[in-house]
Order: sequence, then structure tokens, then C-alpha cells
Amino acid sequence: MILDNPRVKEIIARRNLHMCLECGKCSASCPRYISGKQYSPRMLAHKLIAEPQDRAYIESSVWDCLTCGQCQERCPSGVQFVQLILDMRRELALSQGLMGYRAHDGAVHSWMRIMTSPDLRQNRTQWIGPELKVRSSGETAYFVGCAPYFDVFFAGLGVRTLDIAKDSVRLLNRLGIEPVVLGQERCCGHDLLWSGDQENFAELCRQNHQQFKDAGVREIVVSCPECFSVLSQFMPQVVEGCDLKVTLLIDLLGRAAQQGSLDFTPLEGVVTYQDPCRLGRQAGCLEPPRDLLGRIPGLELKEMANHGLGALCCGNNSFINCDAYSKRHQVERLRQANATGAGLLVTACPKCMIHLTCAMRDPHQDGPLQIKVRDLASLLADHIR
Amino acid sequence: MGAINLLGIACNWSPFACYNAAGQAGMELPPSFRLMRVMCIGRINQALILRAFEYGADGVILLECFDEDCRYGPGPEVGHTNVSRVRRLLHFLGIGQERLLEKAFAANEREALVRALWEFSEQIEDLGPNPAKPRRERVAS
Repeated sequence: MILDNPRVKEIIARRNLHMCLECGKCSASCPRYISGKQYSPRMLAHKLIAEPQDRAYIESSVWDCLTCGQCQERCPSGVQFVQLILDMRRELALSQGLMGYRAHDGAVHSWMRIMTSPDLRQNRTQWIGPELKVRSSGETAYFVGCAPYFDVFFAGLGVRTLDIAKDSVRLLNRLGIEPVVLGQERCCGHDLLWSGDQENFAELCRQNHQQFKDAGVREIVVSCPECFSVLSQFMPQVVEGCDLKVTLLIDLLGRAAQQGSLDFTPLEGVVTYQDPCRLGRQAGCLEPPRDLLGRIPGLELKEMANHGLGALCCGNNSFINCDAYSKRHQVERLRQANATGAGLLVTACPKCMIHLTCAMRDPHQDGPLQIKVRDLASLLADHIR
Repeated sequence: MGAINLLGIACNWSPFACYNAAGQAGMELPPSFRLMRVMCIGRINQALILRAFEYGADGVILLECFDEDCRYGPGPEVGHTNVSRVRRLLHFLGIGQERLLEKAFAANEREALVRALWEFSEQIEDLGPNPAKPRRERVAS
């Protein structure tokens, strides 16, 4: 029973839930709640504190959250709602074996768990052609993440996530960096972490950390915001003494651009930009992507109705809980993108690209939802001189 | 013998008719072979095949109808797409694409089915165990 569980009481205290005033700003801004789902952060807070006997409500709500952080951003009382959800998922996974409803039948989580096998010898670097300069040991590494796997698994959507990895290495080469790319890199484990599987997540962290150490790496450059969040924030919680520096590719490019060492070829037209939750609200990286886009001559950036700290999530996180409400708010997001008059929607996270492209495939919504999507790294790589 | 785990996923119609007939005729099957029957191979998705490997299968064979024999329509075509994608994923993972196979049978081809299973069994025995030995999911889903 949740009421008697001292670990849940500890989570409630640690994440400031007792500070909740029940003002309701969280639910009023929650994309799930706005889409009509019977899910409310305010109600979950209330149940956890005042009515913990309602296990059914609590257990389903903990898995319904997108962890987009909109509620936490608006909360005037400093409740750490996203962390609360993470802690509760770990607790419910550990104590009751819950794992939420996994989209794509859990295939993504499956290959992440398969990667915890230490004897696995992956063939994951065949995308690196002679035009890309990489090395097997050195101080700076590029973390590829799940791009090769998504590329195959989501081939039916026509999203080419591997291009993001290729273009990121191209950009690093342009900056004069020849990054280490690990042949046996494991997935960062983001989706295992956020679906409560702490044990396998920790195993992936340990293996990645060891491999980076063995290759003499000190700094990891990442293009994916989820990998960034995991490697910079969660890996040090798992691996004791982890001193790897984690840098966003966008920050690296932003610094180079400010020093005047980058120049871009023109792109005439209006584009709009999707802030990934892990990048914008959670890592606070709002300006660098906009600054870089602004440096492309002819490009006019038009913001969607919800942008920056108020940006709408792409509708799904860690491949759990994709449902009709996700779809409803993805449709809303795509309408916002089209309302800007932009011909191109720029994203900075492969999952935003996957989810928004998927939502466009609705045959009944053809027309107003269609918009070309490209990743920021690919766009920059194509226009960098 | 028997050290490897083979999983067959069979469509209820032609392949299962072959399997049933082989059983009735007392034909011998590889001892490490286990069969899972589904109504159509189109019901199987990429995740279910991957999960078999996650749970320790050393080889998976999809036993399906010929495209034109499908009782439902696109079943075998769905199977071809899923198998081609999962084979690429298995290659990336280092498990090896040759551990996943699909074969089509007409309803009267019991000998061909049994032969295919023995060939697959020998092939997987040559390859040895699947290198992926992760912790199993704590709760079966």
C-alpha cells in the first residue's frame, strides 16, 4: 500500500510535494490535461498526499505523464514534478513490476535491454564513410545514440535519423574536431530510465562510461537532447567519480559562431523551430539554436504560438503512453507550425522528428498537417561554409 | 544437441497444417524447437521478434503462408517487411541476421517444413548461442 511505503513518503518530501498549494497552474498548462485526458498533475499531487489509498489513480497517473516539464516550469511552489514522476516510476517498477504501456510493443526498450549484454559485438558504425573523419581513441568523443537503430525501425516513416549522426560528425570535422566514435557504444538508456528500469539503465551507463575511459575520452559531444540529459545529469548519479565533460553540439557551434569562425550559405524562406523538452525547458538551451538559425542568410524564423519555455512537447516520451491524446496534441502542434506560414519545421531531437512525422500520416488530416521536418544539425551542416 | 533455443512462429493456416500433419505422421523434429501458433504471421511485429532474442532465443523462424495464400490479405508481406528490418537490427546488435529466417509453405508441404526446421537447427547450432544474454524483464509482458 502506497500509504505505508516509507520510500514513497521520502519521494514526496524530497520532491517538495508538500509545498503544493493546489493552485492548479500545473494542470492548466499540462498538455495531457488540455488534450482531454483524465490526467491531472494537481490531482496526482493531491492523491499522493491526501488520498494515497487511491492506488489505481496514482499508478495510472504516474505512467500517463509525458515528463515534458511544463507543470514544473509554471509551478510557483517549486514542486519538482518531473523528478517526482521519475522517482515514482522507479519505485512502482521495482516494487510492483509496473512499466507503463509501451509504444511499438516495447521494441525500443527491448533493444536497450539487449545492449546490456557485455559480450555483444555490435556492427553500429558502418554508416561512417571516408568523407567523415573519426578515430577510435582521443580526448573528444561524439555520442551517436540510437540513431542507427531508429533509422531501420522507423524506416516506414521515412525519417532518416542516421543523417543526424552523419551531419553532426560533418559539423565537428568542420570545427576541426576528429571525434572518437565508439564501435561498441551502448544506448544512453534514456527510455529505460524514464520507464522505471533503473537496473538495466545503470548497466548501460556503466558500460558506456568504461568504454569512454578506455578510449581516453574526457569530453563527450552530443547532438540528441535526451542523450545529453542522461550523460550529463544521470550518468554521474550511477557511476561514481564520473568526470566526463558533456557538451551539446549546438553549444559548441554557437561558441564557434560567436567567435566569427562560422559562415553559412543562404536559405530563403520561413522556418519554425520545435523546442525539445529535454533541451529547452530542462537544459535551458533556448537561445543557441535560435541564434544559429538566425545566422543563416535569408532564413526567417517564425515562432509557434507555444515556444521557448512554453513549447509543446512532441507528444510522447521514452516510447511509453502513445495514445489518442498524444495524437490530439501533436495535431495541435502541427497546426501551430503551419500557422506560422513556415515551409520547414526544424527540430533538434530525433524523437520530435519521429513523433511529429508519425502524426502527419493521418489520412484524414492530410493537407493542413503536412510540413517538411529537418533536424537542426542537418540543416546547419548543409548550409555551413 | 538441445543446448540452443529455437523458436518457430507459425501461421495457423498452411504452416500449422504442415506441422500438424508432420506430427500425425510421427516425423521427428529438432529437440530444441518450440512452436508458437498465431492466426496470421501479419500479427507478429518487430518488437515480438526482438523480444524473443531478448528472452534468450538463439534462432527464430517465421513459418508463413505464401503471399497469395493469405486468408487475411497482407499477412506475409507484413512478415517480409518486419523480418527484413529486424534482420538489420540484429546485424547492428551483433546478434547476427542469420538467426532470423522466414519460410513460406503450402498446406501440403509437411516434408518441406520438417526439412526447413532441421536445416535451421543445424545452422543455429553451428553459430552457437546468441551473444545477447541480458537480464530478463522482471515481469513478463
